[in-house]
Amino acid sequence: MTLAIAIFAGALAVIATERVDRTKVAMVGAALLLVTQTIDQEVAIEAIDWNTLGLLAGMMLIVRLTETTGVYTYLAIRAAQLSGGRPLLVVIALALATGVLSAFLDNLTTVLLMVPITFLLADALDVDPIPLIVIEVMASNIGGTATLIGDPPNILIAGATDLTFGQFIGNLAPIALVVLLLVTGLLYLGYRRRLQVAPEAHERVLELDARRSIEDPDEARRTIPVLLLTIVAFFLHKPLHLEPATVALVGATLMLVVSRQPLSGALAGIEWPTLFFFLSLFVMVGALEHTGFMADVADAVADVTGGDRTAELIGILWTAGIASGVVDNIPFTAAMIPVVEQLTLDNAGDTAYWWALAMGACFGGNLLLISAAANVAAAGLAERAGRPIGFVPFLKAGVPVVLVSLLLSTAYLGVRYL
Amino acid sequence: MSGQSVGAPLLREVPVLSGDDTVRTAVRALLDAGVTALPVADDDGRFAGIFGEREFVTAIFPGYLRELHGAHFIRRSLDDELLRRRGCLDEPVARHTFTEHVDVGADFSDAELAEIYLHHRVSVIPVLNEDRRVKGIITRRDFFRALAERALEG
Repeated sequence: MTLAIAIFAGALAVIATERVDRTKVAMVGAALLLVTQTIDQEVAIEAIDWNTLGLLAGMMLIVRLTETTGVYTYLAIRAAQLSGGRPLLVVIALALATGVLSAFLDNLTTVLLMVPITFLLADALDVDPIPLIVIEVMASNIGGTATLIGDPPNILIAGATDLTFGQFIGNLAPIALVVLLLVTGLLYLGYRRRLQVAPEAHERVLELDARRSIEDPDEARRTIPVLLLTIVAFFLHKPLHLEPATVALVGATLMLVVSRQPLSGALAGIEWPTLFFFLSLFVMVGALEHTGFMADVADAVADVTGGDRTAELIGILWTAGIASGVVDNIPFTAAMIPVVEQLTLDNAGDTAYWWALAMGACFGGNLLLISAAANVAAAGLAERAGRPIGFVPFLKAGVPVVLVSLLLSTAYLGVRYL
Repeated sequence: MSGQSVGAPLLREVPVLSGDDTVRTAVRALLDAGVTALPVADDDGRFAGIFGEREFVTAIFPGYLRELHGAHFIRRSLDDELLRRRGCLDEPVARHTFTEHVDVGADFSDAELAEIYLHHRVSVIPVLNEDRRVKGIITRRDFFRALAERALEG
């Protein structure tokens, strides 16, 4: 057990330094556990959640095939134009567009799609782009909380439970929407002096020809209906008796059939490092479970809270929120899942524990510039654009945003589940 | 076809930029030399990369432009806003140098040149001595012309 704990804790620490690629760290960790026979290969393979990997791979393919059409750029431009160039409305439009896209694609992809066009919109409006980028990053992490496919912690939770797409939306979308609107409003107030738009700048945004951002209209007509059909199928996956991974992979397969894009290009959209990171992580967490450590943690939590449900829910929410801000929320969630399973052993129908974990793990991603992959990607894009975001400026926004998010989530837990 | 190299006689001696030169100096040197890119050397005078038209366009336009999937939707009226980054003219050329391994040794073959032009988006190939100092460059345009003339003669 000691070796499994040491390897997992060591891997978390090295990942947190951001000096070594997280996939390499996780693979080394998994390899060490296998070589030292802390976990044998058969148990390791059983620990891998293929539903999660299938869902991720399917969605990566779908995103790749649709992003090349330019349809997401179109949505971002239209959102800014509908705001008429008025600062508050621009901020709300971009935050909502980012939040909604992030709920149905993934945070990282959404940020990679939205940030470049936001820089352009900021130039057109002649405003500082950094407040808009920070708001978008926060909106992507909040929006991703709303659905089963929006953020990796939710995908992990879905893989470990029977919770449906509809249950995720029904329980997490309301709080995600409230947090998104409040956080966007607060950030706007904080940044409003840097977002003053000159009257002539309105015209420059309205002059952008959004229709011409659709690079391949025929491909968009072929692939976007499949994307919409896949989202509908996610809503219906339970009555259809289909796992989310099946929905994503069937959607991706259908899209490959109707698309005219080369197969090799589409398959290049699969982020293998991410899949290997998850795979290795499952092996490491599998070792922790196999050695009985996670059961011990669950017992310790129960001892501390005295089995009090309220204390357990709020404890999970805040621990997940703060921990996910400091360490990668994916391994943290993967490690917490067996703990929550133990805590709900006597009452498997009590889903509130999962929502507390999801809210904490997803909202916590807004704490630091390195807390989530989307934040790191936005920082990289901003750096390359010659306008770095800066660790401290992000922290100044991140701390109040996470605090407000967790306070609202606590109230939500109280009103809805306690 | 004869056994003679197409590329060997095409070597051009050109000015070598220093990484500390400003973009302004580098652009002026490019215009004066009449080539699309020039080699850049490090503090020890060894080859460090190339700076050319592509690097200048990248430097003078906002960095996010290359992250966009397309730019058909941008109207001409936005050009002035986008070109405000003329401050890059005073930045060191080292910041904008293309550093991929696209050089050849003095005994290069035509196939070596062709392979580089096929796999890298460069318009010149620096030719280096054994101590990695720049002897000259082979431009893509010269190489194409010489190849085409040889092929048509043959």
